[in-house]
Amino acid sequence: MAASLSSIRNVRVLSALAWSSSLCSISGSRGLHVTVSCCKNRAARIRVGKGDKPVTYEQAHHPHHIGHRKGWLSQHTNNLKGEDGAAERTVEDVFIRKFTFGTFHGCLANEIVIKRRGNLLNVCAVMLQKLPPQKFYFLIGYTESLLSHFYKCPVKLEIQTLQDKIVYKYL
Amino acid sequence: MASRTSKTFLSLGRINIPLLGFNKSSGKATYATALSINSSSGNEGLPDRGGRGPFVRRPRREAGEPRTGKMPVDQDWTAVYPSAAPFRPGSVPLPVRMGYPVKGGIPPEKKGNLELIKIPNFLHLTPAAIKKHCEALKPFCTEWPSALETDTKCDEHFPIKLESKEYVSAGPSLRNPSARIVHLRVKLSSLNLDDHARKKMIKLIGERYCKNTDVLTIKTDSCPLRQQNYDYAMYLLTVLYHESWKTEAWEAEKTVADMEDYSWEDSPSQKNILDVLLRMKVAGEGDGEEVRQQLLGRKDVQDYKDSVTRLKNEGESESSMLQYKEAVKKVFNM
Repeated sequence: MAASLSSIRNVRVLSALAWSSSLCSISGSRGLHVTVSCCKNRAARIRVGKGDKPVTYEQAHHPHHIGHRKGWLSQHTNNLKGEDGAAERTVEDVFIRKFTFGTFHGCLANEIVIKRRGNLLNVCAVMLQKLPPQKFYFLIGYTESLLSHFYKCPVKLEIQTLQDKIVYKYL
Repeated sequence: MASRTSKTFLSLGRINIPLLGFNKSSGKATYATALSINSSSGNEGLPDRGGRGPFVRRPRREAGEPRTGKMPVDQDWTAVYPSAAPFRPGSVPLPVRMGYPVKGGIPPEKKGNLELIKIPNFLHLTPAAIKKHCEALKPFCTEWPSALETDTKCDEHFPIKLESKEYVSAGPSLRNPSARIVHLRVKLSSLNLDDHARKKMIKLIGERYCKNTDVLTIKTDSCPLRQQNYDYAMYLLTVLYHESWKTEAWEAEKTVADMEDYSWEDSPSQKNILDVLLRMKVAGEGDGEEVRQQLLGRKDVQDYKDSVTRLKNEGESESSMLQYKEAVKKVFNM
């Protein structure tokens, strides 16, 4: 949301001020643009602390490392040049992440990786072994059937389980 | 129970529970649990059953050895990865490491490595797997017809070539608007055109004709369906063909400026060379029509005509300039 305020100065006043180099508004208008703060230098970063905070590989690397040290969590062809549908897939991705986070409450070891292969939606997740396997199987089936009904496409959930979270470093 | 979970589901973005990995400074949620949760091992913190007797939790089953430890060396790999699947560290018996190492360390190992899951892998496309695919597809293949061995034979039997593209993309929809475009290519030499029809056709199609390969390309994308675009392209070809055979009344007004090729007859070059030769000749022979005809019949004049025509039509090049030089020398007896 950007609001711009501009005031147009009197031309006569301006000609007197035209020689002053400090003013950049020689054309006759001044603008002030206001946006919501983006916080681009604070996004998805865990600040360095005392050294007791364990952090995964995903959390330790900042967004500017994507493409260099990190891969992409979600891959589909709609992001290519000349293809459309990128916005719909992004909204689907956000919903799937929130949904799995809530369904497998307390079990997710790391972020979810979403891959699309044609029609098929492949959700790959790494889980902690907090629930007995029967509950896991039930939740997997529940997620798959519910999401495939939502999105009218086959959804596959590929799970790996770990004892504990993998720590990359301590910040 | 159901209502409670639904409430937590709805208020996921708002509650600041210290157990969940919320980054308070930015206000965005990371959808993974924080490490401060104790992994439940053994019977700790049993819920109170309210007098129904002690609750015996089933002892937690330890995870067994991953499959990689039990794989024989000569196993059938196509059974382990029969189709495209994400990377499973317990199924791939390779000590793969991936990631940027910590200072003074090595890349993280494959267990729980999200980077290995993110990338596409081709473990299901080993040469043995591809051989199996080919074997399975062979019964559905037919031989290439023997009468179409060479490209020229294909051109002769199928002079009109149609091209259209199909698009496959990730997502629930098959439709792609670029799939309606149709290209029709045909060589003008394979159409039955006489000289006038060919020249008229080339003038009608303009930009769509490639002189080097003698190919007419019609691209249609104005209709929404591929079938409609194909019909339109065929209709355009038919109309072009028939129109180029017709001769309209106004075509008789074609001037020298409209001509496609340079023709030497009745050109300034012919007049000039004849004038020069007549002046060079011994006076007294006269200046009549038959003298001009006789001059035109001479071989060196014919050579001069060929060289000038070649220069004008093909442009200047080493060999054409040499030819012109030789012809001029011969005409003027130099």
